[in-house]
Amino acid sequence: MPVATSRTVALNGAAGHLIDVQADVSQGVVMTTLVGRPDPTLTEGRDRVRMAVANSGFTWPATRRVTILLSPADLHKRGSHFDLAIAVAVLGASCDAFPADALQQTVFLGELSLEGGLRCVPGVLPMAMAAARAGATRLMVPEPQAAEAALVPGIAVFGMRSLAQVIAELAGREVPEAPPVPAPTSGRLLSWRGEDRADELDLADVIGLADARFAVEVAAAGGHHLMLSGPKGAGKTTLAERIPGLLPDLSGEEALELTAICSLAGTLDPAGGLVRRPPFFAPHHDASRASLLGGGSGRVRPGMVSQAHGGVLLLDEFPIFHADVIEALRQPMESGEVSVARGEEAATYPARGMIVLACNPCPCGNYHPAPGKSRCECREVQRRDYRRKVSGPITDRIDITRHLEPAAPHDRDDPFAERESTQAVRARVTAARERQLERYAGRAWRLNAHTPGPALAAEFAVGAGADRILDDAIYEGRLSRRGATRAHRLAWTLADLWGDDRPEQLHVQVALALRLGEPVPGHVLRRACGVAG
Amino acid sequence: MSRAAATCGTTDSRPSDPVDFQDLEEERLARAALSRLSEPGTHRLCTAVANLGGIEVRERLLNQSGDAAEREIAARLAAIDAAAELDRASSIGVRFVVPGDAEWPRQLDDLREAPPLQDRGGPPLGLWVRGPLRLESLAESVSIVGSRSATTYGEQVARDLAAALARDGRPVISGAAYGIDQAAHRGALGGRGTTVAVLACGADRVYPAAHAELINHLGQTGAVISETPPGGAPMRVRFLGRNRMIAALSRGTIVVEAARRSGALNTANWAGRLNRVVMGVPGPITAEQSQGVHDLLRLGMGTVVTNGADVLELVGASGENLCEVPRGESTPRDRLDLLGLSVLDAVPVSQPASTEAIARVCGLDSGSAAEVLEDLAHDGFVERVPGAGWRLLREVSR
Repeated sequence: MPVATSRTVALNGAAGHLIDVQADVSQGVVMTTLVGRPDPTLTEGRDRVRMAVANSGFTWPATRRVTILLSPADLHKRGSHFDLAIAVAVLGASCDAFPADALQQTVFLGELSLEGGLRCVPGVLPMAMAAARAGATRLMVPEPQAAEAALVPGIAVFGMRSLAQVIAELAGREVPEAPPVPAPTSGRLLSWRGEDRADELDLADVIGLADARFAVEVAAAGGHHLMLSGPKGAGKTTLAERIPGLLPDLSGEEALELTAICSLAGTLDPAGGLVRRPPFFAPHHDASRASLLGGGSGRVRPGMVSQAHGGVLLLDEFPIFHADVIEALRQPMESGEVSVARGEEAATYPARGMIVLACNPCPCGNYHPAPGKSRCECREVQRRDYRRKVSGPITDRIDITRHLEPAAPHDRDDPFAERESTQAVRARVTAARERQLERYAGRAWRLNAHTPGPALAAEFAVGAGADRILDDAIYEGRLSRRGATRAHRLAWTLADLWGDDRPEQLHVQVALALRLGEPVPGHVLRRACGVAG
Repeated sequence: MSRAAATCGTTDSRPSDPVDFQDLEEERLARAALSRLSEPGTHRLCTAVANLGGIEVRERLLNQSGDAAEREIAARLAAIDAAAELDRASSIGVRFVVPGDAEWPRQLDDLREAPPLQDRGGPPLGLWVRGPLRLESLAESVSIVGSRSATTYGEQVARDLAAALARDGRPVISGAAYGIDQAAHRGALGGRGTTVAVLACGADRVYPAAHAELINHLGQTGAVISETPPGGAPMRVRFLGRNRMIAALSRGTIVVEAARRSGALNTANWAGRLNRVVMGVPGPITAEQSQGVHDLLRLGMGTVVTNGADVLELVGASGENLCEVPRGESTPRDRLDLLGLSVLDAVPVSQPASTEAIARVCGLDSGSAAEVLEDLAHDGFVERVPGAGWRLLREVSR
């Protein structure tokens, strides 16, 4: 059997392609060639595989010409997980270690060490998803990652420790002992007291800010982007940090998507199973474009905007982020995905998280428009530049804009202030999201924020007379067309929060006020928390 | 009731003399009976009782023997057991305050002179009160009223103003309704002050029902006041009479948000009639909820207030709590005269220019320009660059 074919997966962004690894062992000039657009990590694999085969008790065909072809040949291939498939193909072609049909419908993932042991690789979950979709029935992965791969239904996962174990399994022999495979190195090396602080943040601790609390609830219910502005110490960050707590656990589908992204980013805890809690990321304003949107050297890693899929990405003090980062946020904010193009490689990752922007009124954060209240020391030019960054094309893609004023002592001492807990608000958000899941069942989106404009117009119109409100605002020049669509989506979220069948005038009015940063009717806030009046 | 009031007439009224009550308790019983008999706030009855006293008016009504309607009223009045009324009220913590009581808020007597509005007017027959607050302390109070469908902006402003008044020790009066009213009460409570609700229904009832907790809290810490006897329902017309009391009890009325047909404008109207201070908080000119306030201000019926200090200046005694006249920030340039300014404008920012060049730009002769430049250099606006002329100092360049 001079030719054998094994299979593995090549990842391009979140999309996986099944790759045939063909090995031909025949007479000729003694050498080993690897063809089919491998990148350097793969070429190195040739040497790893050779030593691993030898050290596993098999014979490398050292006196023959070995040709390894990765096909389809035009696809760029990268990563160390090809090792196992190459080793299996070479052994299949050079010796009768296992029956030829054992390779059918089996996909191999794993890097090899020189002793022949398997090592963990990033992206096992999306690769397993791709393998299952392509019809493979068996999947062999490094042992610590078997649980991750097993999240994918319809494929039998084998967790292996070494090349020798894999060959034995293929031959139907008894699997030999092997030392355990170390867990992925990206595991937590450092932990510190209070790192899980976010879990303990409760909305009940926020004083005043009734208007912003309402905005945060609406944003969470429909997955809308939110901008909080206000002077230093107004409570923007305090409030924003509490948004993830308002979100319900992710549904099975969403959790799988997010787990796949974590797997690609190499941040998946192998023991943790599916990632169920919505993620929260608050990058520093010095963050690079690659870290936020994806990229990096080598493989295109998903950025934080993708890692926050289904959760919250908070950009605190967003006007001081690099200008190119802010500009690049346009695409994920509009379409819910992010494409990173590099050379001929273009990776697309999902990015349907809520984006929360927080900003000060000026660079020093002390500006206040009220007479006598401003302690700002910025120059007018600086303030103008700052404002220009705030009011760019990004804000047109923000659904809800709220201005926060610091809570006064009398807000703190108000005996009738609503101080609802995170749990109470989460119950309403969960109910609103369930209504959306039901309404959008079988469609390509789950939340109001992601409902395409044409679908809104055709199938999810607002009640009679309510559309006039948006039209009037457009005529008055207060609203762009995009803004009207966003207000329309918001109106649906309000209807879902209040348990109404479809948006009527009040919903649209409130949605418009939320969008334009104008005050909302006070009774709406109390209606939201179930208190009449 | 109009028939009954017509009978007592006001022909022999003595508007300038306060009624001297021989027997306060008998007067209280008479007024309690009349309060139970009549629709609260009826102008003619209230005025008649204010002028003649409750006892006299009760006697006249009991003894009228004209047509069937008059006899019916007399019989109805005779059937009222005022003592039992007062006992019942007392058992639920409600007292009936009448003129002559030490705590009677005398500012209500101003209602005797004011012309009626929609047939409401005159001082109330008495006040049914629940709560520990003595009503004479309302002499320095301020009322805050506005739309029930207020925006978050209006509610925030109402809270802030109420808190500022509370911190100054002034009670805040409002109507316990949705929107601005509840915000005013809450702001005053948050500012650790006293606050009073004037209701259209009986002081023992809660309206709106959703504000039961708030109204009961006020009944325990401040006061809940009504001219409607206990048990009375919050009927529409009673709000008109209630509004006149809010205006009359306080030194000034602030309207925070009011649409064109808001009841808060009725209160403001009463405040104007009673020569109280009428104040309005402006809002966005595009907001429906502020249109009524803007109309009020545009017609010159009220003064703009934007914060607590503005209000305190207006409602305080003359010369008290004066606000500083607001001015923009002053800059060193403000001290220069026109000549100095024109020379300074002609001095370049970075590259120095000679005296002659500067004089040419600002149209002066070199001698005068040099003189002004010396002064400017002395005051730190420009500096002399040896051999090159003059240039602007950095600090004043912007």
